[in-house]
Amino acid sequence: MVEVTLLAVGVLVLFLTLGVPLPFCFGGALMVMYFVGDVIMKGNILWGFQQLGNPILLAIPLFVLAGTIMSESGIAASLLRFVNAFIGHVRGGLGVVAAVSCAVIGAISGSGLTGIAAIGPLLIPEMEKRGYPREYATALIANSSILGLLIPPSVTMIVYGWVTDTSILACFLATLGPGLLIMFNFSVVNLYMSRKFNLILDEKPTFTELTGEVTKRGIHAFPALLMPVIILGGIYGGIMTPTEAAAVAVIYAVPVGFFIYRGLRWDNFLSAGKEAATAVGAIMFMILFSMILSQMLVMESIPQQLVSSIFAITENKLVLLILINLMLFLVGMVVNDVTAIILIAPLLLPLMTAIGVSPIQFAAIMGVNTAMGGVTPPYASILYLGARIGNVKVTKVIKPAMILILTGYVPVVFLTSFWPDLSLYLPRLFGY
Amino acid sequence: MDRFAKYLLTSLICVVAFGQFVQVITRYVLQIPVMGLEETMAYPTIWLYILGAVNASRENSHIRANVLEIFLKTPRQHTILAIVGETISLVVGLWLLSWAWDFTRYSWRVWRESPTLYIPTFYSDIALAIGITLMMIYTVVHFIQHLRDLKNGGVYHG
Repeated sequence: MVEVTLLAVGVLVLFLTLGVPLPFCFGGALMVMYFVGDVIMKGNILWGFQQLGNPILLAIPLFVLAGTIMSESGIAASLLRFVNAFIGHVRGGLGVVAAVSCAVIGAISGSGLTGIAAIGPLLIPEMEKRGYPREYATALIANSSILGLLIPPSVTMIVYGWVTDTSILACFLATLGPGLLIMFNFSVVNLYMSRKFNLILDEKPTFTELTGEVTKRGIHAFPALLMPVIILGGIYGGIMTPTEAAAVAVIYAVPVGFFIYRGLRWDNFLSAGKEAATAVGAIMFMILFSMILSQMLVMESIPQQLVSSIFAITENKLVLLILINLMLFLVGMVVNDVTAIILIAPLLLPLMTAIGVSPIQFAAIMGVNTAMGGVTPPYASILYLGARIGNVKVTKVIKPAMILILTGYVPVVFLTSFWPDLSLYLPRLFGY
Repeated sequence: MDRFAKYLLTSLICVVAFGQFVQVITRYVLQIPVMGLEETMAYPTIWLYILGAVNASRENSHIRANVLEIFLKTPRQHTILAIVGETISLVVGLWLLSWAWDFTRYSWRVWRESPTLYIPTFYSDIALAIGITLMMIYTVVHFIQHLRDLKNGGVYHG
């Protein structure tokens, strides 16, 4: 059966390379399993379709919609102005504003695309006006946008928790430490890089001016700042499930966007609804078939066979963790985050537990690696969107993006793997 | 068509969000859980997923890796690659459609009902066959468009 699985994976990679839509790539792999491996399809289609109705998955469209409404309504802009009031006047401060704002937005939206979609159109022109190279500004915001997948709530962690039967709330907390560390790294790297740019700086405000401005912008941003409080407070206060918190966030964001920030109008509300539903449809249709493929592999005991094959080569935890990170990095380069988690998490979890890595720490390892995949070409959806928003060629964004990945992400990827407390401290604190 | 998609998809996603919100209010604020609300929400949810995917096919915006596309230079090469991708999508999609049809017939025969309100699950089960059929129709439309592009000198229209 291992040979058939390898053939199915080969077909999957071939179809991915040819640019076939992801659901049909998985369909192709399923065809191989069915025709060559004699695996039953009938029961699996029924199983997969029933899984789609799982209330846990319902959090995905709702968080995507909350993020889309936030981009359109002016909620993100008010958060950005508030963060800017603190450090906007410092040399390199606007770059720090980008990283911190994306982290705050990450605490509302579960997607890695919201940050760049909401902040990019506002901050890229402003950063360029202040002397930052446009491609650098685009790369920084696109990279920071990934924080949406690491700062809870996160769509990828919902999917991970669901496929591996791990507590979703614990998975959310596992990626928070690495996410904050990446935000810190980007801020420091940006402050260093900014020394090379010929920046136009505002006059340093007096303490009274600064407190006045922070208070003014804080009052304006208050309804927006309440959103993460509602979502995270609701979830970790034990009041709501992630799905319910996502629904409350949507219902809260609509009147705030229409009547307080007034960025939401009937036409862009309809566009936001369609955009979110289309994105979710594409994700869910892909989840359906990738999940069936994953289930087939589990039923054929492929994860167990994989563990024994790898253990035959080495049992060294250090080597295995390096190899797994390398593999996740390569997988993240060619498929999107959700797909990588559905396919890889059930396959590798037995191996990880065998070498003493807990499912919660593995959530963080998968989270940081798949998030990094969103900005590493060829499948770098967030970087491509950033280039489109920033109106710069992708080829020009790649160099500054790579500098940020190497200095901001890669150290955190290794820390997450080799320093368990980074991802386990917070879950333990909350009793997981 | 775009206007229709906007109204339909926004309505569906709003119904789903509002249903969950009502659940929070009734369960936690009023402390009167509404029986059967969760199972009722499964229907608009499934249709939201499937029709969202159909719209992704209409807009040709399904998630792809596009690894090879980066190395291709001319519009003609891009058009040929798109035709190859659509041919594969059609073959695989029609095979999946046969299974979705099989699943629909099973659902019709068994006629399962939801546990509290006894709503037949057939009304959400049929979404898969309808959805894949519509996706195949849009794939054929894109396929024909790309064949025409190739005939007219290979200008790629995405």
